[in-house]
Amino acid sequence: MLTLSSRTHSNSFCDGLSRRSFLRIGAMGLGGLSLSQLLRAEAQSGKGKSQKALIMIYLPGGPPHQDMFDIKVDAPSEIRGEFSEIATNVPGVRICELLPGMAKIADKLVFVRSVVGAKDRHESFQCLTGRLNEKPPPGGWPEIGSVVSKLQGSTGSAVPPYVNLSQKMQHTPYNQGRNSFLGIGHSPFMPLGSVKDDMTLNGVTLERLHDRRSLLTAFDGFRRDADASGSMSGLDDFEAQAFDILTSSRLLKALDVSGEPDKLRTRYGKGTAQVQGDAAPRLNEQFLLARRLVEAGVRVVTLSYSFWDWHGGNFKNARQNLPDFDQAVSALVEDLHQRGMDKDVTVIAWGEFGRTPRINKDGGRDHWPNVSCALMAGGGMHTGQAIGATDRQGGEATERPVHFEEIFATLYHNLGINPTTTTVPDLTGRPHYLVDGTWQPMKELIG
Amino acid sequence: MKRFLFLTTFLALPAAYAETKLELHTGIPGGKPAVLKGKDASLQLVATAVPSDKAPFDVTRSVTWTVEPASVLTISKTGVATPLTDGTATVIATSDGTKATATINVTGAASWRTASFTHEIVPLFTKYGCNGGGCHGKSEGQNGFKLSLLGFEPGEDYEHLVFESRGRRLFPAAPENSLLMLKATGEMPHGGGARMERGTPDYLALVRWMEQGAPPGNPDDPHPVSISVFPPERLLQPESTQQLQVTAQYSDDSFRDITTSVQYDSAAKDMLEVSSTGLVKAAKLTGDAAVMIRYKEMAGVFRATIPLGAPMGEFPPERNFIDRHVFAKLRTLGLPPSAVCDDATFLRRVTLDIAGRVPTTTEAESFAADKNPDKRTALVDRLLASTDYAEYFAGKWSALLRNKRGNSPARTTYAFHGWLRESLNSNKPYDQFVREILAASGSISGNPATGWYRAVTKSQDQLQDVAQVFCGQRLQCAQCHHHPYEKWSQQDYYGFAAFFSTVARKPADEPGEEAVFNQWRDAFALNPKTQKNVKPTPLGGQVLALKPQDDPRRSLASWLTAPENPFFAKMLVNRYWKHFFGRGLVEPEDDMRVTNPATNPELMDGLAHHFTESKFNLKALVRSICLSSTYQLSSLPNEHNATDRQNFSRFFPRRLPAEVLLDAIDTVTGIPTKFAGQPAGARAVALPDDSFNAGNYFLTVFGRPDNTSACECERSQDSSLAQSLHLLNSKGLQEKLSGAEGRAAALAKDKAAPEDRIRRVFLTLNARTPTAEETKKALDYVTAREGKPAAWEDLIWALINSKEFLFNH
Repeated sequence: MLTLSSRTHSNSFCDGLSRRSFLRIGAMGLGGLSLSQLLRAEAQSGKGKSQKALIMIYLPGGPPHQDMFDIKVDAPSEIRGEFSEIATNVPGVRICELLPGMAKIADKLVFVRSVVGAKDRHESFQCLTGRLNEKPPPGGWPEIGSVVSKLQGSTGSAVPPYVNLSQKMQHTPYNQGRNSFLGIGHSPFMPLGSVKDDMTLNGVTLERLHDRRSLLTAFDGFRRDADASGSMSGLDDFEAQAFDILTSSRLLKALDVSGEPDKLRTRYGKGTAQVQGDAAPRLNEQFLLARRLVEAGVRVVTLSYSFWDWHGGNFKNARQNLPDFDQAVSALVEDLHQRGMDKDVTVIAWGEFGRTPRINKDGGRDHWPNVSCALMAGGGMHTGQAIGATDRQGGEATERPVHFEEIFATLYHNLGINPTTTTVPDLTGRPHYLVDGTWQPMKELIG
Repeated sequence: MKRFLFLTTFLALPAAYAETKLELHTGIPGGKPAVLKGKDASLQLVATAVPSDKAPFDVTRSVTWTVEPASVLTISKTGVATPLTDGTATVIATSDGTKATATINVTGAASWRTASFTHEIVPLFTKYGCNGGGCHGKSEGQNGFKLSLLGFEPGEDYEHLVFESRGRRLFPAAPENSLLMLKATGEMPHGGGARMERGTPDYLALVRWMEQGAPPGNPDDPHPVSISVFPPERLLQPESTQQLQVTAQYSDDSFRDITTSVQYDSAAKDMLEVSSTGLVKAAKLTGDAAVMIRYKEMAGVFRATIPLGAPMGEFPPERNFIDRHVFAKLRTLGLPPSAVCDDATFLRRVTLDIAGRVPTTTEAESFAADKNPDKRTALVDRLLASTDYAEYFAGKWSALLRNKRGNSPARTTYAFHGWLRESLNSNKPYDQFVREILAASGSISGNPATGWYRAVTKSQDQLQDVAQVFCGQRLQCAQCHHHPYEKWSQQDYYGFAAFFSTVARKPADEPGEEAVFNQWRDAFALNPKTQKNVKPTPLGGQVLALKPQDDPRRSLASWLTAPENPFFAKMLVNRYWKHFFGRGLVEPEDDMRVTNPATNPELMDGLAHHFTESKFNLKALVRSICLSSTYQLSSLPNEHNATDRQNFSRFFPRRLPAEVLLDAIDTVTGIPTKFAGQPAGARAVALPDDSFNAGNYFLTVFGRPDNTSACECERSQDSSLAQSLHLLNSKGLQEKLSGAEGRAAALAKDKAAPEDRIRRVFLTLNARTPTAEETKKALDYVTAREGKPAAWEDLIWALINSKEFLFNH
């Protein structure tokens, strides 16, 4: 416990001190730590029993920031919209009347009202990678889950580090699980997307699969020590995992919410399995699935929720969507708190851009990349705050503009990864920092 | 390479040591005395024991050091000399009665030298990571203070450090209280933490430089022109150490020890560790490894070979120069190779590697039955003559040369792919092949070789691709800053870019096509750093004098494909070596830096020489590789070489590439996959471009590249859970297994004895006959399910999912 500095350059901050050694110094300074403090320090340094994790809810199409967390009650009627605001349990923070569930637990949430740096493009790319896809490096930018998969790997249990719960969406740029310079080995496992068809038995009974497996065992005698690279044994591991899935497994169980108490399932709500627009269904169950997957050892779970590109009927759509969204988010955040996972699991919900201040002739709002919003929770962050502000019309960030990459820096930080000193190599071997430029984790939320 | 002279003395001594010499290295060539100039000078001496019967080894830390007269200088136990008073002294190293001496002149010992900002201060910023890409070296700087990345722009650094922010960073009146020093030591809050400690030599060097008035230095001051590393290479016993010594030669022909000023990076940390003072420690892993040494824009390398020293036993026959070089390395390492593989394994291996397919049942049967002692040679020749070879390698080149469909008409990618296939089929010499691509003009329909220009439209990508694909030089870095590990500067980058500056396009007669042509004008590219135009300049060469009517691309192609080009042949042989062995002699295969040496340089030279001498004959290269005993070694390890991953003491198994695997499954199930717009029975390896990936989950999930990069690393050989699920349980595979026209159905109907059918299944799947045990297991399984195709489906399914099938081994 007395190590004062470790000059290893991997996994260390810019000052050459690792987080652990920093914690040790802290311990010395305080004259020692209690057991619970030690355990917490362990957990914070990513070595504890529970893993740091991220649940990202992507809202395809771009949700209306000014009708959710940033109601402009004083704006002229062509801008203001139809909703009034309500108080939350955080004094001074007011949100849309359609979000009463969130209002009740606003102390556990962060409303970012001033997300900037978006492009007017209907795609999940920036929400998933933090990057604009202007000049991608050879191989393409990786999604945050792929980066975490590369840096931290699987938690050791038979589950993949990165799971994407999206189904294939009609508007293809909404889809996730892109290949990147990190290679397909770090692409998300997509149990409802690309691998869905392979997860239930195709034309064979379970009994026959067992027969086949015994046959495979009998014939798969090639000497594993012929391969020093580990790729053969890696394949064996995946094969075992795949059999687990096909028979019955932790992962498969995690994907089945039927074992959850009815009360909890009711708490999360239903939504609808109907695909919305050219995007995703509004399935509240996926929030519960995400939590179950994290419990099973997944590090990053991403999902797509409903369809938010409301060029017409903005308010009608909001009345349909926001209550379901409110229920799902508040249930998930409360659930994570009740299970003591709130320090480890970060939740974020956001879309690719905001909506125009002015309501158009169809009662809709159009694309508005100038400013948008994000909802965050958990991750050991200082919750119970609204960050940033927009002008009277909700058109520009006037206070504390928050860049996409700042949010990514914060997400990486919460996952126990230093975003400003950690690099991943692209196909040319050039190292890339996880966030560009000088973006740092958001001071308001960490530390 | 310079010759260094050692001052050596033989002394008579106990018999056991009688044949061991002791040598002392000072870094000064020509036997001249070493010089310690200035109060802060230091010199790392390296003492080496040179036994007459064994490889030399480092004894710097075990000899006894003495100095005569002792008043002139002092020397530490680790061999570092520092001055005391002016004069000449002899340093004596003694070990077991053996002695070696070196003369050192001490001058200016009473006073500090004036440090050069450019050559001594800036390298400190590099050494302590201040100007790294994560801190002040990034393009925006850090918290308002910007340094040039890795110190390649000392003029800018001086400006920022001394004058910017009203000069607040330096405080010459009390240097130790300068913002610079307080931040560097962490005495003031510093995002980067404490980087150096008060009182250390480097700290004092910075302080003294400020005391001297923070001089910017004179452009005429002597500057370092080269660095040399001692020793350049060494056989290092496992877990032994080696002290390095690094000397800079200056423009005034003086020398200075910079052992503690350079940056050391071990390329294989599991084999070699290196300290900031140049002490290298070998681990237990056997093989070759290198330490990269960087100082300003110069780089050097120390290569170590860590032997195993196992008993050698009998080697396979040395069939050509490849075996000679590989086996010589294995003997040096004491790493005995595995035996040569059996016929069935060779047949499958070489058919997969040359033709991109598994052998047919007939091929497997007839090769086993063939009594010709030279049948392996005949097989290689037959495969090379087949169109399968051309199809398979055309796919490889198609990916590298980015034959991506995009929005172009299909005929464009098809035409380029067809041209590649024909070039390989007719065995067009590689130099001609590259010349035709590089200097191509016209439209695709008129000249399919313009396909590369169709896909790669920006001159930036053109020069980077050419440098990477044909030279193994990754120039990308040098677009914005000096290459951190190589000699390439922005000037080199834009000099190379200038070759493509006159490439122009116009709409072609054929719809959807453009014609590429050379515009008649002076070729140049603007170096944004100097704001000056640079004329076409080959890498490491002189500026070319071209007339406006000359096509610079022709000059580039001539330079590139000349037999004396230092990159061209090596890059290709390394790429092909990797194709057949799964690992390049240099890894990554297209990153052939001085600081990233080959694991077997003699073999690399031998291959390049052979290839050049053959007039760039690709088939001849493949033939030499495949006929070597090295390629034919078994993948099964002996008791010594299981952990070998780089010395080719056995064959390294690797998973079949996506297309090859899909074709193999089609072959063994008897049901081909259909590809849109392709004739029935078209092989996946022969698909002309990337456009088939989107519609074929198998190809996507197993990592067929999208042809977006000039690097073969775009092809992912990673395994994943999704792949395993797909192989074990995909609808597509089950349909192939149970298809009425498929192999399982045919086997179920077959009236031949079950043993015979089982034998054929194994020949089809694994190119070998089953063992008695395998036959029995399979027989039990199918007999219990008599007459049902399902039993045969299951048997084929199990064999497909076995590692023996999924891997080339």
